[in-house]
Amino acid sequence: MKLPRTQAAVLEAASATETRPIAEIADETDENRTTITRAAFELEESGLLDIVEETTESVSLTTEGERYDEHGLPEIRLYRAAVERGAEGSVPIGELLGPADLDGPAVEIALSNFARKGYGEIENGAVSVDSGLDPDSDAEAAALSEIAGETDDAPPGSVLDQLERRDLVAREESTARSVALTDDGVTALMEGVEIADTVGQLTPELLTSGEWQTVDFAEYNVAADAETIHGGRTHVLRRIADRVKRVLVGMGFEEMDGPHADADFWINDALFMPQDHPARTHWDRFALSDPEHTDDLPEELVDRVRSAHRNGVGEQGDGYHSPWDEDFSRELALRGHTTNLSMRYLAGEAEGDLEPPQRYFSIEKVYRNDTLDATHLLEFFQIEGWVMAEELSVRDLMGTFTEFYEQFGITDVQFKPHYNPYTEPSFELFGRHPTTGELIEIGNSGLFRPEVLEPLGVECDVMAWGLALERLAMLITGAEDIRDLHGTLTDLDFLRTAEVTL
Amino acid sequence: MPVVDINTDELRQLAATEKDDDELKRDLFALGLEYEGETDDGDLQFEFAPDRLDRLSVEGVARSLRYQYGHDRGVYLPTTNDPEWVIEVEESVPDERPYVTGAVVRGLDMGEEELQSLIQLQEKLHATMGRQRAKGAIGVHDLTMLKGHRTDGDRSKSITYRGIEPEGDRFVPLDSDAELTPAGVLSDHPTGEQYADLVADYERYPAIYDDIGLFSLPPVINGRRTEVSTDSRDLFIELTGTDQWTIDKMCTIICYALDARGGRIERVAVEYPDRQLDRPDLSVTRKTVAHERIESVLGIDLDADSVVDYLERAGLDAEVGDDRVYEVSVPPYRVDVLHSIDVVDDVGRAYGFNDLEPGYPDVSTIGGCHDRTRREDAVRDVLVGLGFEDMLNFYLSSERECFDRMNLSFDSDPSSDAPFGVARPPTITEPYSEEYTIVRTWALPSLLMVLENNTHRSYPQDLSEIGLSAAVDESEETKVHEHRTVAAVLARTDASYEDAKARLQAIAAALGVTLETPPTAHPSFIDGRTAEVVLDGERAGVVGEIHPKVLLEHDLELPVAAFEFDLAAME
Repeated sequence: MKLPRTQAAVLEAASATETRPIAEIADETDENRTTITRAAFELEESGLLDIVEETTESVSLTTEGERYDEHGLPEIRLYRAAVERGAEGSVPIGELLGPADLDGPAVEIALSNFARKGYGEIENGAVSVDSGLDPDSDAEAAALSEIAGETDDAPPGSVLDQLERRDLVAREESTARSVALTDDGVTALMEGVEIADTVGQLTPELLTSGEWQTVDFAEYNVAADAETIHGGRTHVLRRIADRVKRVLVGMGFEEMDGPHADADFWINDALFMPQDHPARTHWDRFALSDPEHTDDLPEELVDRVRSAHRNGVGEQGDGYHSPWDEDFSRELALRGHTTNLSMRYLAGEAEGDLEPPQRYFSIEKVYRNDTLDATHLLEFFQIEGWVMAEELSVRDLMGTFTEFYEQFGITDVQFKPHYNPYTEPSFELFGRHPTTGELIEIGNSGLFRPEVLEPLGVECDVMAWGLALERLAMLITGAEDIRDLHGTLTDLDFLRTAEVTL
Repeated sequence: MPVVDINTDELRQLAATEKDDDELKRDLFALGLEYEGETDDGDLQFEFAPDRLDRLSVEGVARSLRYQYGHDRGVYLPTTNDPEWVIEVEESVPDERPYVTGAVVRGLDMGEEELQSLIQLQEKLHATMGRQRAKGAIGVHDLTMLKGHRTDGDRSKSITYRGIEPEGDRFVPLDSDAELTPAGVLSDHPTGEQYADLVADYERYPAIYDDIGLFSLPPVINGRRTEVSTDSRDLFIELTGTDQWTIDKMCTIICYALDARGGRIERVAVEYPDRQLDRPDLSVTRKTVAHERIESVLGIDLDADSVVDYLERAGLDAEVGDDRVYEVSVPPYRVDVLHSIDVVDDVGRAYGFNDLEPGYPDVSTIGGCHDRTRREDAVRDVLVGLGFEDMLNFYLSSERECFDRMNLSFDSDPSSDAPFGVARPPTITEPYSEEYTIVRTWALPSLLMVLENNTHRSYPQDLSEIGLSAAVDESEETKVHEHRTVAAVLARTDASYEDAKARLQAIAAALGVTLETPPTAHPSFIDGRTAEVVLDGERAGVVGEIHPKVLLEHDLELPVAAFEFDLAAME
């Protein structure tokens, strides 16, 4: 019988009368264990070898477990501290923390286990102990020291389970494999095994010499997993942004670009946001302290915007009854929305005066002074778009956005009448989640108010809408933590495995 | 967004309906009030956009429902009685809070529910229009506790709005037994402490007196003497603030709510040194709307009768003039109608926006991406082809990340030959977090942070990013120079200068620019293994092996080769 070299070596090393560990055979044949294991499985497949698997469990202390083994379990430290205080009555917890050397999460741990084990009671922030107990006979403490001392007395299973729940011990299973010859194996050995002449790698020499025609190629285990590699890939959120851009460009929208740090005039005043609007307070804004303000605002436009805020536009117009200070207009901030770009384009500041029809969009970052958590970012991407035409109706707005969302599988878009300081009529957009069918908010839209357009010198209709890109992206990728999707706290594993279904 | 708490039994009674809670929820959703949950007392909570502030109480919500159900049509104005009371405004009133208004409401029979509803409305108006009492604050008093005998003038009774010394007259504020001076209220009373900031800088504090003495310290707290209870039948409502229109509207909304509860509104004369006002102001405002504008905004054809019908269902009155132009009257509780477009919106809501068929604007335009996007995409394609994992990092960072942890020292006025990345960063005024205090001046610190957060993930970690970086620049319109930067790191056990340079060469070749790398020194990199990136003769960035100090600072136990350059150099 002809066998590859390693298989022949394993067969020679195996015995019919006793099982031999694979590790031992690997040492003996000077091969690595993986190679020997593979050969053994191939021999088992051919019926020449039996493989016996034995699973053993080992228990070890976690870092926290080691710490408690050395310094004592928190609840026992608490008990001892309380007994020392002569606590037949009750003692406020605060007074025991020092003596028991407890702080941070250890306090909670001590209290819950103290109660669980019946060392005493905790009521209204005070501890009273059952002083008749002997903390030296605590089963969990004993188990910790047994595991640490590697004695052979295994702690009872229930105690071990409890310690595992407390994350104080780690259990690991390992599998050891041993082999023994089968009858067929013995027969094969008796009849004699030859080493087959096989080739591992196809080489240039084999090809040019023509030798390839006379050799056998060693078989690979083609079903086995190969090494994991991570190719270069575009960020999943960037891919979604790119797709949205393609859709919008296809619908005739042209991209805007402009400053992230801008005067409050462009970010808010031009948008007819009253200066005492809650969103303009220092809590929500990312105001800059350096540089603090700009000297460079278009004066005539500032006058028209101020007048719109104070007196409204048109003969019967009414303005806001709010203070309006040009110094506030000049203050610099990181934009809270990309509408500063829309204002710059509509005012003719970005690309000169625009004649209808026009369609513009941007997908760029905006900033909110907020607390970072799983659903809130300090900076995120806003999709913003607007259409300018001689005459636009609410129906045009509905049709345009229905078309847009359908590109992402979001159908049955609903328009809920809403209020924005800068649009009228205004609508919140709701759509059906493509997989869950849930009704979710997917944007905000409306026709810009005359108080926005007239000062900018726009004499026709403009409709606009906006939404957060991350919101669309969480729907598409199923990401649960927005911090994986955007920012330096990302988990590379998420980015490497995120399914891109676009 | 504002939230209103509704006792649905009260709502049914006020709106004259038998509908159950679920039906009410549906009807309210149609008005734009979204069900949010329940209070501990079993009231239902509804959130709505801050335009219809007349719906901050159950009375206002009920009024809207009555219009929706067709129980009411057109403008409703409560009748009022002639004034008996005067609010005299003295010259001593603080300049910071010069305005006052008010009303008397008589004949109320308030139970616990009605009283709670009034208190809720007061608090919600404070939180919204009143801008946390800064712009307008409401005080409600038991009229029978006020003594205001007056000998001169036509009216028989008065109270006085004036400014007083912080250490002036004492009075007993609500929820207290102690007689306190105004300054004492601000320092020793819980409500006083809460609102102290509103008046702390004033030379004189706003105060309201009657014959007996001080009884209210707006916008902070009322006195105990005039406290309102379920026994109170007649109320004096006073409002002070920084804007007359705002407090008048707040007063109007309260008067409408109490009118719905059966109260009789009695006007009050407000006597400023130079003028006199008759309040509450219950006059209608008028807006003129063209029929064509309504049709063009809604995108449908309508006849004049149905437009008038929709307007009346919205609680407005309308007369059709010549040329199909409507003269529309708007009731005084509406604070959201600035322009005729707001009347058009009311027509749309009454018609039902969701009954409109979507159309599509019949205009064609040509789409396209910005040049910057095209350049970014071209470079990103090359980077990804070279095996880089594309990152998307925060543009906000801190001086610690951008400079300190990169072994750089921050320089607020860096010279032109400062190391790449050292620049005056745009700085945030009051950041919540010390981790996000500036706009980053370069992007490699962000990539090193990603490496730092992913030491448990498999290597190699070849990461790249194209994103924003910025620096203060007085010559720019916004005083900030913003630019796109291209950064990349190769974190692998055998990473070397050669690896980074090879990839940089590939990018330069792909984009058709010449690359030179003259040696340079940069504290973030190892000396002798660092070069300037010079693209088409312009200094554009840096390439090299990251300094061990920087690596260890980021808990990295393997070499990192890196480069960064300004995207604009690829033009």
